[in-house]
Amino acid sequence: MKSGSNLEKVIKSGQPAVTAELGPPMSADAHEVIKKANQLKGFCDAANITDCQTAVVRISSIAAAYIALREGLEPVMQMTCRDRNRIAMQADFLGAAALGLKNCLCIAGDHQSFSAAGRLKGHPGAKNVYDVDTCQLVGIMKKMRDEGLQQGGDKLEVAPKFFIGASWTPMGDPIDFRPYNLKKKVDAGADFIQTQGIYDMELFKVQMEKARNLGLHERTAVLAGIIVPKSAMMLKYMDSSVAGVSVPKELIQRMLKAKDAAGDDKKKAKELQEQEGMKITVELIQQALEIPGIKGVHVQAIEWESAIEHIVKAAGLYPRPDFSE
Amino acid sequence: MKAAEIQSTKGFTAESSELKESRPYPPCRAACPVHTDVQAYVADVAEGRYTDAFEVIRSVNPIASACSLICHHPCEQQCRRCGVDEPLGVRHLKRFALEQATDYRRSKRHAVAQTKGKSVAIIGSGPAGLTAANDLADLGYKVTIFEKNPTLGGMLSAAIPAYRLPRVTLQEDIDDVLSKGVEAKTNCEIGKDVTLAELSSKYNAVLIATGLSLSRSLNIPGVDSPGVLLALPFLSDAAYERKVDLGKKTLVIGGGNVAIDVARTAKRLGAENVEMVCLESEEEMPAWSWEVDEAVEEGIKIHYRWGPKAVKASNGKAEGLEVVKVTSVFDESGRFSPKFDQNETMLIEADTIIIAIGQMSDFSFLKDSAVKVDERGRLVWSQATQMSSAPGVFVSGEVVTGPGSAIAAASTGHRVATAIDLYLSGKNIEAALVSDRKDKINEMPKDIIQKLAVQPRGKVAHIEPDARCTSFIQFEAGYDEYTALREARRCRSCGAGAVVNQDKCVACLTCLRVCPYDAPIVTNKAEISPDRCQACGLCVPACPCQAITMVGYDVNAIRNSMPSIIGDKGAEPVIVAFMCSHYAAEKGASLSSNVRKVRVHCTSRVDVHDMLSAFEYGADGAFIVFCGSDDCRYREVYPRVKMRTELAKKMLGATGMDPDRLAYFRTGGEAGSDWVKAIEDMAAKLKEMGK
Amino acid sequence: MIVGQQKKFDEIWEMVKGFRKVMVLGCNTCIAVCHAGGDKEADALASMLKIKAANEKVSMDVSHGAIQRQCENEFFTPVLEDLAKYDLVLSIACGVGVNFLSARIGKTPVYPGVNTQFFGGVPKPGFFEELCGGCGSCVLNLTGGICPIARCSKSLMNGPCGGTNKGKCEVSQDIDCAWFLIVERMKQLGTLEKLFEVQPPRDWSGSFHGGPRRVVVEHLRDIEEKQ
Repeated sequence: MKSGSNLEKVIKSGQPAVTAELGPPMSADAHEVIKKANQLKGFCDAANITDCQTAVVRISSIAAAYIALREGLEPVMQMTCRDRNRIAMQADFLGAAALGLKNCLCIAGDHQSFSAAGRLKGHPGAKNVYDVDTCQLVGIMKKMRDEGLQQGGDKLEVAPKFFIGASWTPMGDPIDFRPYNLKKKVDAGADFIQTQGIYDMELFKVQMEKARNLGLHERTAVLAGIIVPKSAMMLKYMDSSVAGVSVPKELIQRMLKAKDAAGDDKKKAKELQEQEGMKITVELIQQALEIPGIKGVHVQAIEWESAIEHIVKAAGLYPRPDFSE
Repeated sequence: MKAAEIQSTKGFTAESSELKESRPYPPCRAACPVHTDVQAYVADVAEGRYTDAFEVIRSVNPIASACSLICHHPCEQQCRRCGVDEPLGVRHLKRFALEQATDYRRSKRHAVAQTKGKSVAIIGSGPAGLTAANDLADLGYKVTIFEKNPTLGGMLSAAIPAYRLPRVTLQEDIDDVLSKGVEAKTNCEIGKDVTLAELSSKYNAVLIATGLSLSRSLNIPGVDSPGVLLALPFLSDAAYERKVDLGKKTLVIGGGNVAIDVARTAKRLGAENVEMVCLESEEEMPAWSWEVDEAVEEGIKIHYRWGPKAVKASNGKAEGLEVVKVTSVFDESGRFSPKFDQNETMLIEADTIIIAIGQMSDFSFLKDSAVKVDERGRLVWSQATQMSSAPGVFVSGEVVTGPGSAIAAASTGHRVATAIDLYLSGKNIEAALVSDRKDKINEMPKDIIQKLAVQPRGKVAHIEPDARCTSFIQFEAGYDEYTALREARRCRSCGAGAVVNQDKCVACLTCLRVCPYDAPIVTNKAEISPDRCQACGLCVPACPCQAITMVGYDVNAIRNSMPSIIGDKGAEPVIVAFMCSHYAAEKGASLSSNVRKVRVHCTSRVDVHDMLSAFEYGADGAFIVFCGSDDCRYREVYPRVKMRTELAKKMLGATGMDPDRLAYFRTGGEAGSDWVKAIEDMAAKLKEMGK
Repeated sequence: MIVGQQKKFDEIWEMVKGFRKVMVLGCNTCIAVCHAGGDKEADALASMLKIKAANEKVSMDVSHGAIQRQCENEFFTPVLEDLAKYDLVLSIACGVGVNFLSARIGKTPVYPGVNTQFFGGVPKPGFFEELCGGCGSCVLNLTGGICPIARCSKSLMNGPCGGTNKGKCEVSQDIDCAWFLIVERMKQLGTLEKLFEVQPPRDWSGSFHGGPRRVVVEHLRDIEEKQ
């Protein structure tokens, strides 16, 4: 075992893995994390603790991950290249490992310009770091774990043992290059991959086939990303504005139909769409798991962690395997 | 509209004229024997600076008024507009400018101090003599003119008919010269009233500028018959209103300009029927085509390609001219060598026959003098020194050059004046007297011709033939102001365009990018092709290093004169209106005096600085009037000038002033409404705002 | 060349308003080419200051001028003495010029009138585009001549990230995704496989992150100083 994390064990066991996502709050209130951790606990093998996603200041990933861990939920800490240089990153790995964290997802991070959105002022004037990029960060972690060396070459008495993850946007531009993009992350040392949210399963299958042709499915565990749709509006927005995401028309139609069925009743419309969204999610999970080389799913119910229980059960993925001794 | 009302923004600096001289001339200027800066005065006219125009014209041409009526205008023949539509009406514009500036011109006359303490005698007061007198007086010499006729002006006065050149007009030129302190002795013939030797001893130098004062005659039977006259005595009699006996039917022999003058004069003296006979065909005829046309309009019949054979006379009266058919006029190498078919003859009936086949010099006064005449009857002289064989006796004009134009004779007057000055200063003439040939720019490139709007030449009115032939009244009217200003705007300012200061240029390519005519070439530094540049001036304000100057105008003129443009501020809000000169001409006059009118050749020349400078010096508003799309001189520049104005508005806004204090308006095509009203509305609004 | 943009006039006025005798000094090299600080802009800015001063009833004597380059001693030699007579020099050169003059002028303050932006090119008239990051260690051979440091919003060496959307950067639809361009260019060059290799973490010490940089060209040095 590389890290001995629960997620690593599930994947190694050959059973489809399920990861979820926990977004820490924009406040120093640990209860929000505790609440969400308990909603997810038992319904996933590990939960990603986002690292100031959309560049918005929140409880740090490591701190929130530690709280989740205390609550009995295995966290996947996230680390963006946006906010730390290699010194801070490696220091945080040592600290996180010392706290008992075992999974880490390496990502570039949303640009700080994203932070000023909606009612938020954010910090678009922040200076970003990008000392290293995702591939390089993956490489640094691997070097620390496997060689016991810092990036600079200094020796580590006790190496941090992480199960290393990276993200992948399989359908992003330039689409031909995306399988190679994955390959680079795998070459750098990514043990598992969580993809960008997928709605267009047919296109994903094509990209997965290319990844298989490169032999990548044997070297890493690809978990298909599924973002739980909440409304027709959300799907439309994702389709038009989110990089690397395209939503088939039928799915949008289904959500619209659900919405229309409620007539003028807004509350009902919300409910019906949420129900339809969960239904779609379950279908997508099942389709994804049938794709050769897919080792699990990464289900993101953004600010809707309570939905995971129902989805996982409906998808027939409950109960989750238990490797606790 | 009075010229005085227009703000003068010009200020020709020594620097800009030096630059101009270093550049190839535009073809009009190169073609002019005295190199009149045509486009400079045309630009002055276009922008309403008539006195400035006068200064430009008069600075090189002491017979300017005469030229404004009788010049054969080689400038027009060379005009680069010929490729587009018709040449610019240069002569008409010259006349217009001079007429507008008459009061100013008279007020400027003053004696020049005779600082040199040396004297020059000038024999003859034609274009060459007058010009030399003018220049020598300016240089501080005591100048005395000796003229055998009762009036000054040479042929201009004694031969050119008054219907072409009214004597009051000629007098303006003469008065200019005399006012400098030049003494004139009229009715004073050398060899009769005073001898050349006397002049040589009394004066430090003598100039012979006697021109061609004798008419050539024919050596044919019957030429001595009564009723057979010579051109010059005839024209002279007419000019001095001496009685001339003309029969009913007059025949003029000759095909040159003098022959035309003779024929048209005869018509005006009452000859019922005037005909001409010449060796040449209509195309070969040496007279200017427009003069031939005017003669034909007046009912003068021309017999082409007949040679005079004999005058038929009986009872002591001429009855007609026997003529023989001409088969060719010129030989294969183009030399004059007429051939006749003796079998084809006819008789042209006439009771008066006037011979106008050419003029020659009268050298009788040189007899027994130190001035030599060679065996072929030519005066011996040196072109390099303008001196005759007698030291201190100089020559100029047709007496040595042979027949030519008035302005060509004037140019030799300039040259001989320089030669005399060198001589009297004890300097080597030959070394210092340089050729005045100038490089000129090339023809207008074809692709540019296609970009230029066709704008027909402004026409002048002629009195109807029937009416004009009854007297010697001036038959040609001048431009009115409207036509003159429109015509002046037709000038393409060839060669007056942009020049890049290579020391300042950073090769940023801006000029290349803004030029609508692809004139700039940027390699290490920018250079602007004088052949292509249309002198719109668009590139000057665009240059970030202020590296571009213009040959034709001072690029800082508007800014530099802004304090005087704004002047004293009264109670009314002051608005500086930068106006395309064309529209200023048409409507500028109706604007009230609180609107300070700044005419520009094209608004492309107005810089952001110029607009801001109005506010810098206290204007309450500024207004740019672009011309419409159809009649714009530079149709391609408008979008860019508009952008520039928008930028200036933004800059004004940034200083905290209301950007609407700077407004613009495009007349014609686009908006079609009245910009005068727009300016008035602005004034009203500013007043409301308390300025 | 170095690209800059004139500061907003209000900001300039706040800097300048307390001074009586002000010189607006342009630089006729890079900053002139981008129409931010050459002779012309110095002239225009001086004009604006005069208008503003008059409107605010502030007594201010504003002059303007420009020298060829504000980053070399020799160009300052003829004007330095004169510049020192002003209460303030508002330099509209790039920041290099402001630093350079400031160190040489003595007690007169030198303020910046321009925001220095980047090393850029002019892809079309009026457009100035950042094309080089000045990172001190060029990798353009690896990236098809497209600089990932300057042109990728995240300076990724192993791009693209997941934010590429229809060839544009996640930061703005107005920004081309550099990695999208790099991939397309490398395909065109037939060298796409070069991108399959993971580029290791960079050594940034040759960039600004190694502290202020200095290049010494030995054979150009003053002989006396060298000795």
